[in-house]
Amino acid sequence: MFSFIFNEAMRDLRRAGRVGVSAILLIALSLTALGGFWLLSLNLGRAIDQWGDRVRVIVFLKDEPPAAKLDELMQKIEAVGGIQRLHYVSKADALRLLKRSLGSQADVAEQLPRNPLPASVEVTPDAAIATPEGTRALVARLVALPEVEEVQGGSQWVDGLEQFRRLFQGVGLVVGAVLALAAILTVTTATTLVLHLRRDEMEIMRLVGATESVIRWPRLLQGMAQGLVAAIVALATLEIAYALAVPRLEPLLPVTIGLERVLFLSPWQALALIGAGTMLGAVGGLLARGRVHA
Amino acid sequence: MIRLQHVSKVFGAGPSRVAALSGISFSIAKGEFVVLTGASGAGKTTLLRMLYGAESPSEGDIEVAGFDVSELRRSEIPRLRRSIGIVFQDAKLLAGRTVFENVAFVLRVLGTARRDITPRTFAALKAVGLSARAQAYPHQLSQGEAQRASLARAIVKSPGLLLADEPTGNLDEEMAGEILGLVKDIWSRGTTVLFATHQARLVPQLKRRTLRLEGGRLVKDEG
Repeated sequence: MFSFIFNEAMRDLRRAGRVGVSAILLIALSLTALGGFWLLSLNLGRAIDQWGDRVRVIVFLKDEPPAAKLDELMQKIEAVGGIQRLHYVSKADALRLLKRSLGSQADVAEQLPRNPLPASVEVTPDAAIATPEGTRALVARLVALPEVEEVQGGSQWVDGLEQFRRLFQGVGLVVGAVLALAAILTVTTATTLVLHLRRDEMEIMRLVGATESVIRWPRLLQGMAQGLVAAIVALATLEIAYALAVPRLEPLLPVTIGLERVLFLSPWQALALIGAGTMLGAVGGLLARGRVHA
Repeated sequence: MIRLQHVSKVFGAGPSRVAALSGISFSIAKGEFVVLTGASGAGKTTLLRMLYGAESPSEGDIEVAGFDVSELRRSEIPRLRRSIGIVFQDAKLLAGRTVFENVAFVLRVLGTARRDITPRTFAALKAVGLSARAQAYPHQLSQGEAQRASLARAIVKSPGLLLADEPTGNLDEEMAGEILGLVKDIWSRGTTVLFATHQARLVPQLKRRTLRLEGGRLVKDEG
């Protein structure tokens, strides 16, 4: 029975002709768009995670604490919570770092009547809170300390990147959904056309006592086959685009978003894309109408 | 095999209400050959459609091959139809398939074991004298051959009941005689036959029990 249903589905697919090919192309287009947005979003996510590891918060102090009070201050800062590491930078250390960064121009710093740089504490947040929300909360707690003049750094840049990723995912989902809808409608049209062509067969099938499932399964399989072929086309398109784009993009990535490599979809993600294509086709096939009453 | 009690069928409602059949009652025993006759529009096709579950009666009870057709659920219709072979005035052969494929299609649809399909298909084609035309397509057949292929398709699943709805309506006298002969052969092998025709000249040839419909009423049951 399965071979009958499968053969009928393949026969129907051939009968669908150009409409069937259009349906495959539309599903492939929607899956390529979805897969492309997914790929970029995944790599942006990796960049965000890496930048999250590098988040530093600089706590500028109102006054340089006397050496005897330094430990007490450091404990007070640590007590706000969510801190992995603290590093105190005295006014003298800050000036030394400034001179080092000025290099041959270090003389300029010598001309200063007094050291204008504040003492500070470099705070490395815990990995668990190195998110835009977590870092914002930490900054708020640090600013509230009376010894603190100002808090700088944090995750504004990462925050921006995260927002960009969310926007990107949103656009990807909307574009993918619109294309997926168009694909479903095309599969439905293709399947309805085939049902119209095979109405005589369906009439005979019903007259001789075929069950509705035997009559409907070829329709479902036809849609699934279209979706499967389309998903493979979409994956191949993404793979080719990846192979062409990556050698050109990779040299730029370390100096822009900090990634060494761009990764392709994992085998499981590729399988999910194939599953999505098959589902799209199946939905289109199931929505087709073409009932013949006998 | 078939039992109808006070069966009526009404189409539409209000001013467009049409009574296609009124108060029909008769029984056909297993192994009988019964002719259903009447002018076009007398209700023969409606009656046959009710017997294979394509229409349900407005009133009355219908029993066919052990199925209570008047109470039959939609999901049970396929089981009823597996016990019935049906032929029409139009052979209804599938254009893109050969005669063999048309007949084998029934067995494939019903999930018959692959090894049984070819011998059973050839046996059905042999029974209607069409073995030599097995690989022909419907457009290559004469009307008589097409109707014989249609008969082969109806009997390939070995039904207990054959419903024939004007199978000779499109045929000349010689071809009609051939089809009648084949239907008689099928009946002689134990299949119950209900043969509907508006061709009054065929009825005496058949020499069988005859039911006559006029204006949706059974006016004669004799023979």
